[in-house]
Amino acid sequence: MNLWHNFHYAVAMVLFCIGLYTVIMRRNIIKKIIGLNVMETSVFLFLVSIGYRKGGIAPIHGPGADPSRMVNPLPQALILTGIVVAVSVTALALSLVILLYRQFGTLDVSRLFREEEEEAG
Amino acid sequence: MSGAFKHLPIMMITLPMLGAALMPFVSYLRREAVPWVSALFLVVSGVLGLLLAGRIPPDGCVGYRLGGWEPPFGIELKVDFAGYFLMMVVCGISLLALLYSRLYIIREVEGGKITAYYVLFLLLSASMMGFVVTGDIFNLFVFMEILAISSYALVAVTGNRNAVRAAFKYLLMGAPSSIMVLLGIGLLYSATGTLNMADLAARVGETGYREVLIASFAVLVLAFMVKAAIFPLHLWLPDAHSIAPSPMSAMLSGLVVAVSAFAIARIAFSVFTVHSWGVVGTTLDALAAAGAAAVLFGGIMAIYQRDFKMMIAYSTISHMGYIVLGFTALNPEGLTGAVYHVLDHGIAKACLFLCAGNFIYRKGYRRIDQLKGAWREMPWTCFAFALAAWSVIGLPPSAGFISKWYLVYGNVKADRVPYAVVLLIGAILAAVYCFRIIYYMFFQPGEEGAWRDQVMDAPAGMLAPTWALSLATLFFGVFSYLFLDSLLKAAASLLA
Repeated sequence: MNLWHNFHYAVAMVLFCIGLYTVIMRRNIIKKIIGLNVMETSVFLFLVSIGYRKGGIAPIHGPGADPSRMVNPLPQALILTGIVVAVSVTALALSLVILLYRQFGTLDVSRLFREEEEEAG
Repeated sequence: MSGAFKHLPIMMITLPMLGAALMPFVSYLRREAVPWVSALFLVVSGVLGLLLAGRIPPDGCVGYRLGGWEPPFGIELKVDFAGYFLMMVVCGISLLALLYSRLYIIREVEGGKITAYYVLFLLLSASMMGFVVTGDIFNLFVFMEILAISSYALVAVTGNRNAVRAAFKYLLMGAPSSIMVLLGIGLLYSATGTLNMADLAARVGETGYREVLIASFAVLVLAFMVKAAIFPLHLWLPDAHSIAPSPMSAMLSGLVVAVSAFAIARIAFSVFTVHSWGVVGTTLDALAAAGAAAVLFGGIMAIYQRDFKMMIAYSTISHMGYIVLGFTALNPEGLTGAVYHVLDHGIAKACLFLCAGNFIYRKGYRRIDQLKGAWREMPWTCFAFALAAWSVIGLPPSAGFISKWYLVYGNVKADRVPYAVVLLIGAILAAVYCFRIIYYMFFQPGEEGAWRDQVMDAPAGMLAPTWALSLATLFFGVFSYLFLDSLLKAAASLLA
C-alpha cells in the first residue's frame, strides 16, 4: 500500500491537476479544450488502472482459461462509453469555438469577456 | 407489478428518445408537423406515466431490469415514489414548454435549425426522466452527459454572439464537472467493486477504504454543485439561463438544475445511506452552508438586476439553495420539502420565463423598467406572472408555500434554526424582487409610447401553456395533500 506500488494513481491525479490548471488558467480557448481532454484522459487512465492486474490475461472464457488471472473488463467497458462522451463534448466545444472566432475574431477569453463588460456598461 | 405495466417506466424514457431520432424524418416529410409530433411523444410518455399512478408503493420501489439482466450485473431502473413524482414533473413541464416553443422559436432560430431544436429538446426531457429514476450510478453519468450536451447546444441554438459565449462558458464549467463525476464514480468503484446503487449501499458500510469513500463523495458533491449552480459554483448560470430562448430557459432553470440538485440527494441517500453518515456528514454540512449562502446571494443579486430574465436566473440560484437546505436536514420533512420544491420551483420558474418570453415576443422588451404599465396591453401575461411570483415568494395558497413550510419545518426539527431563518429571509428577498415587478406592471404609468392602450397579448398558443403553469402553482398548493403523504413515506424510506 505504498505510493510506489500505486504510482499510476498518482500519475492520474497529477495529469488531472495539469488538465484543470490548463482549463482554468490558459487564456486561449483551444488550449482550454486541450486541458479538458487531458483531464478526461487522466480519469480514463485512473479507471483502467483499477482493473489492471500484473500478468493478467484477456477476460475471455473458454477451455483452459483461468478466471483468477483475468483483468477486470468492466472499467474498460466504462471507459469506452466515457471516450464516446468525451469526443462528443470536444466536438461540440470546438464547434462553439468556430462560432466564437467567426463572431469575435479572437480566441482569447480575456478579450471575449472584456467586450461583454463594455456591452453591459 | 405485473404484465405490461412493469415496462412503463422504461417506455416513458425511451419514447422521447425515439422521437428525437425520428424528428429529422418527420421534418423531411413535413416541417410544420415537427412540433406537434414531438409533443405527441411527450404526451404518450405522460399518459404512460399516469397509468403508473397508484402502482408505485410509497415506501418501496419498483425495479426494472434493462434487457432482463439481473442486477447487479445489468443496469437497473429503480422507480421509487420520489423518482416517479419527479419524472411526471419533468414530463409535464417539458410538454408545456415544448408547446410554447412552436410559435416562439421561429422568431429566434433560423429555419433549418428548428428541427435540431426539437431533437435536442426531446433528448433533454428523456435524459432528465432517466436521470431521476436510474438505479445504476454509471447510468446516472450517461444520462447526465446526454442532459449536459443537449443543454449546451440548446443555449447556443440561436447562434448569436452572446448565446454562443454563454454556451461556451456553460460548457467550460459543465465539462470539467462531468469529468469529476466520472472520477467520483471511479473512486467509488475502486472501493466497492460495484456500480448498482442498491448493491453500493450494502457494500459502502462494509468496505475498509473509508478515505476513498470520503474523497469519492466530496468529488461527486462538488461536481453536482456545478451542475446545480449552487452558490460559489454558479457563475455559468445567469448568462446561460437568461440568453437561451425563453422556453429553453424555462427548461434549464425549472428542471435541469433542480434535477441535478436532486441527484446529490439521491447519491447521499441511495448510495451512501444513513449508515455512513460518518463518511459523508462533513461534506453535507459544507453543502448546507453553501446552500444557505446561495439563498442569500441569489436573492440579493436578483434585486439588483436590470434585465428581467437575468433576475429570474438569479432567483433560480437562490432556490437551488432551498432544495439543498431541505435535504441536508436529513429528515423526511426536509427531503419532502426539497422534492416538492423541485415541483413548485419548476412550475413557477418555467411560468416566469414563459411570461418573459411573451414580453420579448410581442415587444422585444428585456429590461425591468420597460415593464412599467405593461398590464394595459398584456394583462393576461401580467396576471400569470403575478400568480407564479406568488408561488416563488411562497405565499399561501400556492405550491411554493407548501414546500417552504416543509423546508422550514424540517430544518427546525433538525435543530438548524439559523438555516430556517435563512429560508425565511430568502422568502423576504423573493418578495422584494417579485413585488417590484408586480408594482411596475400594474401600478406604474408606462413611458410614453411604450405600451398601447388596447389589449394585445401574446397569441393563444403561447398564453395557454403560460396559464396552465400559473394555474398549476395554485392546483399543487390547494391539492398538495394528494401527494404529501406518499412523498413523506417515500422520503422516510429513502432515509431508512
